[in-house]
Amino acid sequence: MSAHNRGTELDLSWISKIQVNQPAVLRRAEQIQARRTVKKEWQAAWLLKAVTFIDLTTLSGDDTPSNIQRLCYKAKYPIREDLLKALNMHDKDITTAAVCVYPARVCDAVKALKAAGCSIPVASVATGFPAGQTHLKTRLEEIRLAVEDGATEIDVVINRSLVLTGQWEALYDEIRQFRKACGEAHLKTILATGELGSLTNVYKASMIAMMAGSDFIKTSTGKETVNATFPVAIVMLRAIRDFFWKTGNKVGFKPAGGIRSAKDSLAWLSLVKEELGDEWLKPELFRIGASTLLSDIERQVSNLYLWSKLTGVFEKGIEKPN
Amino acid sequence: GGGAGVWTPRSLSCSTSPGSTVVALVPPASPTPLLLAQLAGELGSFPGILNVISGPASLGPVLASQPAIQKVAFCGALEEGRVLRRSLAGKCVELGLALGMESLLLLTDTADVDSAVEGVVDAAWSDRGPGGLRLLIQESVWDEVMRRLQERMGRLRSGRGLDGAVDMGTRGAAACDLAQRFVHEAQSQGAQVFQAGDVPPERPFYPPTLVFNLPPASPCAQAEVPWPVVVASPFRTAKEALAVANGTPRGGSASVWSERLGQALELGYGLRMGTVWINAHGLRDPSVPTGGCKESGCSWHGGPDGLYEYLRPSGTPTQVSCLSKNMNYDTFGLTVPSTLPAGPEIGPSPAPPYGLFVGGRFQAPGARSSRPIQDSSGNLHGYVAEGGAKDIRGAVEAAHQAAPGWAGQSPGARAGLLWALAAALERRKSTLASRLERQGVELKAAEAEVELSARRLRAWGARAQAQGHTLQVSGLRGPVLRLREPLGVLAVVCPDEWPLLAFVSLLAPALACGNTVVMVPSAACPLLALEVCQDIATLFPAGLANVVTGDQDHLTRCLALHQDVQALWYFGSAQVLFVLFCHIQHLTLPTGSSFSGNSPALLEFLLLRGETP
Repeated sequence: MSAHNRGTELDLSWISKIQVNQPAVLRRAEQIQARRTVKKEWQAAWLLKAVTFIDLTTLSGDDTPSNIQRLCYKAKYPIREDLLKALNMHDKDITTAAVCVYPARVCDAVKALKAAGCSIPVASVATGFPAGQTHLKTRLEEIRLAVEDGATEIDVVINRSLVLTGQWEALYDEIRQFRKACGEAHLKTILATGELGSLTNVYKASMIAMMAGSDFIKTSTGKETVNATFPVAIVMLRAIRDFFWKTGNKVGFKPAGGIRSAKDSLAWLSLVKEELGDEWLKPELFRIGASTLLSDIERQVSNLYLWSKLTGVFEKGIEKPN
Repeated sequence: GGGAGVWTPRSLSCSTSPGSTVVALVPPASPTPLLLAQLAGELGSFPGILNVISGPASLGPVLASQPAIQKVAFCGALEEGRVLRRSLAGKCVELGLALGMESLLLLTDTADVDSAVEGVVDAAWSDRGPGGLRLLIQESVWDEVMRRLQERMGRLRSGRGLDGAVDMGTRGAAACDLAQRFVHEAQSQGAQVFQAGDVPPERPFYPPTLVFNLPPASPCAQAEVPWPVVVASPFRTAKEALAVANGTPRGGSASVWSERLGQALELGYGLRMGTVWINAHGLRDPSVPTGGCKESGCSWHGGPDGLYEYLRPSGTPTQVSCLSKNMNYDTFGLTVPSTLPAGPEIGPSPAPPYGLFVGGRFQAPGARSSRPIQDSSGNLHGYVAEGGAKDIRGAVEAAHQAAPGWAGQSPGARAGLLWALAAALERRKSTLASRLERQGVELKAAEAEVELSARRLRAWGARAQAQGHTLQVSGLRGPVLRLREPLGVLAVVCPDEWPLLAFVSLLAPALACGNTVVMVPSAACPLLALEVCQDIATLFPAGLANVVTGDQDHLTRCLALHQDVQALWYFGSAQVLFVLFCHIQHLTLPTGSSFSGNSPALLEFLLLRGETP
């Protein structure tokens, strides 16, 4: 994980004059999807890279220790061993980036990963996930308990009502408190963009979250009606870039919800590469929150492997994705 | 139907659809039209609908002068357009010009800067934009925009056009050289140049280029910007932006970026451009007409306007070529032939000579002389002023002064004035009818002529009310506003026949659409027109309609050579028409012999010859 983002003092002038033109952003989103497609052997490499960005997630009411264990095992061995061997990638230590669970299941996750001999972090959602409509005191306590249980990454949810009523100072203070409660754990701030109303609000909320010290900003909980879409992502990535230009701190980006197919994941990788560059294409700065994505990637990689057997492309093996 | 010579692949589709056959001349570097023609040929039943010739630009005039061609549409550089226009003088060929490919982007401080930067990419550094871009940035956001632009340029990828993952390809070695020359010149005049992007180093590929800090007085600031160059300049206020934007002779397309609706619309209305986009650039739809203003040409593509370019009202008589080998256009109309003084006067002493009607009142002509007008029996009917070049200049100036006020009038106010003139004509019916009688018209016919004139005025008044901006919604994620703007000052040379009816029928449409006019009335009997002027003097604002009498050829030449007349309607001898085409230097002057459908301010075709009252 990269170094913490220490955040800055609140400076409302960074967001006061900002305007986002929605139709133009929509056009740009369509363009990126059409323009930067990846094919053939590069696609296999990109898919394996995408696997290393996944925060393998399970956030259901019926999570029990047994399915958590299965999840953790899957996190350690995301792609079939024989497939990796055939692609000559079996020794490259391909695992998902993290495992993401509810606070009550953090202990189980930590235990399962330890049993599997895996060092990937456990991320916990907190602060009244997904709606965030609980008292501040309990929200902070949730974070502290999750950290005590062994979670090294916390996904918090912001208070949408503060954004919709324009109370930026209050929002900043809240996130600052979340930051303090996290301690050494990394803070991912979920903006729930589907409920923020406009792209301008998304930009402003992103900026406030970064100023308050988030290490990652995340598009959505995955439980809203509209989750991670490209226009929203473009706005958030622009905010990350502006924050980097102003302060030199690199903040990570995580889209979550609605990313189900291998093709989608490649589009997301292209987007981050276009808007922020290759530096952000690392698990320290980019995550994808998904649960069923992994099986689709596995299926697609196996299709590519079969194709390669017919055409002989992979005989030399593929280079390690950097 | 009929043959047409077309010079660009883009307009091929809109010219074949109304039923014309097409011969296209395309530069050798673009193979797409050839492929299109091959596909068209495979349609089978109608070979020869679409024919494509690949050749240099010098073949253009050759193609255009072929006998069976009825319309030529040209898309390209200004100089070639001029040559083409000269070569088509006198032939009965309609010419549509779409010149220049530069566009403009106006970035205010209330814009979404990142999206505007994407707009710049769309306009200049992609395969979608036809030419270079002039970028006007409000000073307060200059640094922000520059930083974002330069970073965005670094992520552009250039390569072979068929590779789907590149942003821009190449337009050939000629375009590359043109860009290279422009950039060198700009640098030598003191500008800074920034180039970036992932571009192959071989010759036909030219990297995306940003030129800034170019001194505004340098020649490069006025020259057309080639692809893929962007020339950026700052501005302080909206007024300054409009002055800079409208300050070049080109008027193709532009975009305004501002999140404040009021400001965006104000800038959009103020720009003298054929197409203005707000918070977008380069959006096109086949049902939306695109064209240019000023030196960017006077033809329209797309939409109903584009369709009418290739159509003619049924029943229009075929035009006869007015090519004349005996006419010397250098000396045409240069001097006024002297007229002998009239013979001894018999009968009641005639009224004192009429002056010219300029600036709302009758004035003496500069030459201080007058010419006699005779009636049908050869007797002296009256004297009218002998107008000359100086008077034409004065009339045009008066018309220009009245033009902004008149264009700003509401359609209802314009209609009201035209109706008032119609009523005044009816009150004056007996005087006008008696004058017409003296010219040999039967009393009944004369009265009918006066009535018809009044009716025409009323009809055009009603049309002024019905005219307006139309809102059209197309699949472009936003509405499209089609504005019909007045041209400015129109010059009209009336025919000899129907001295009253022709005068009124030409005056009315021009005024109804918001233009001001300078008219040269019928040479045989200008007195009818001058009678109407007496009513105009009391009813209309000064300078709205100006009438200059004199030698028709000489006055026509003066009007044609005047640099500040926006359109010229000429009804007269066919040979003179040929001369006019040779003379007219500024290309956007739409001329019509009997009708002019190219200019956005005129709505109707008017055919006066053979029209029965």
